[in-house]
Amino acid sequence: MSIELLRRRFTTRGWIDARDHGVFIAISRFTPGTVVLAYVVMLGWRFHRWLGAVFALVVASVPASLIVFSLSATLARIDRYAAVRALLAVGILVASVLVLASAWHLLRPYLPKPSRLRTFVVAGVAIVLVVLGATPVRVLLVAAVISSVLPLPESTE
Amino acid sequence: MNPLVIYLLLLKATMTSFAGMGSLPQIRQDFVETRRAITDEQLSQAVLVGRATIGPMGAYVVSVGYFAGGPPGALAGWLAMITPALIAIPLLTLIQRWLHLPRIRAAVDGVIIASAVLLVGSGASLAVDAVQQLMDLKS
Repeated sequence: MSIELLRRRFTTRGWIDARDHGVFIAISRFTPGTVVLAYVVMLGWRFHRWLGAVFALVVASVPASLIVFSLSATLARIDRYAAVRALLAVGILVASVLVLASAWHLLRPYLPKPSRLRTFVVAGVAIVLVVLGATPVRVLLVAAVISSVLPLPESTE
Repeated sequence: MNPLVIYLLLLKATMTSFAGMGSLPQIRQDFVETRRAITDEQLSQAVLVGRATIGPMGAYVVSVGYFAGGPPGALAGWLAMITPALIAIPLLTLIQRWLHLPRIRAAVDGVIIASAVLLVGSGASLAVDAVQQLMDLKS
């Protein structure tokens, strides 16, 4: 499921406009957890308030969760076979590349010049904290504090 | 493992991440390193299952919940995945009041940048684990 697909479905029918979509995108980026779930919650809220939000959340998450549950249960039973383990290892290698791609996708908007220095400083501190064995929550908290006290790029001040 | 504990630990991870896979470092810390409820290999399998499935990228927490606590754990994982999304609604009302403040926006940016760094660490760890498995199978 992609937000772009949702945008096309809803804007072509005139149910939301480009401005609604922009606001939903911005807020979903700042909502903890999975971006697309936050987006569908706001879509549901837009039309039927809490009922719509909960309904949208269930519809967007249950089918995938059932598939994940079934696959996990199957994997737990068959992963003792060498061929299966080899396939899994290759799959995990691919998954690790996808994880790294996710990291790049997150970082990319912060690399252009106005915020590049801030990005390097925050990322550098985060790397040092990770190397020192800090927990992820602490790394995120320190990053938030450092980023908020660094001088802001001129365009955001 | 108690489903309530699974839910709370997974919720901690999903509440402190800003992307589908962003919760991975915290989950590894809590489930693999601290509590040893699942192995690195099971975590890798959960990621693989999550990525191989249509739907939200964060759905791998359902698999983590399953490996840690069976079907009740999977249910706890699903709840932990969907709970943070509901925060979008109060955010929707607050956002116009707060997000225009540059310092608040900068703090959120910092969290996102650090999430990316943590993800690189998790991705590298998964890759090393997979290569190790392949080498073990060869020998």
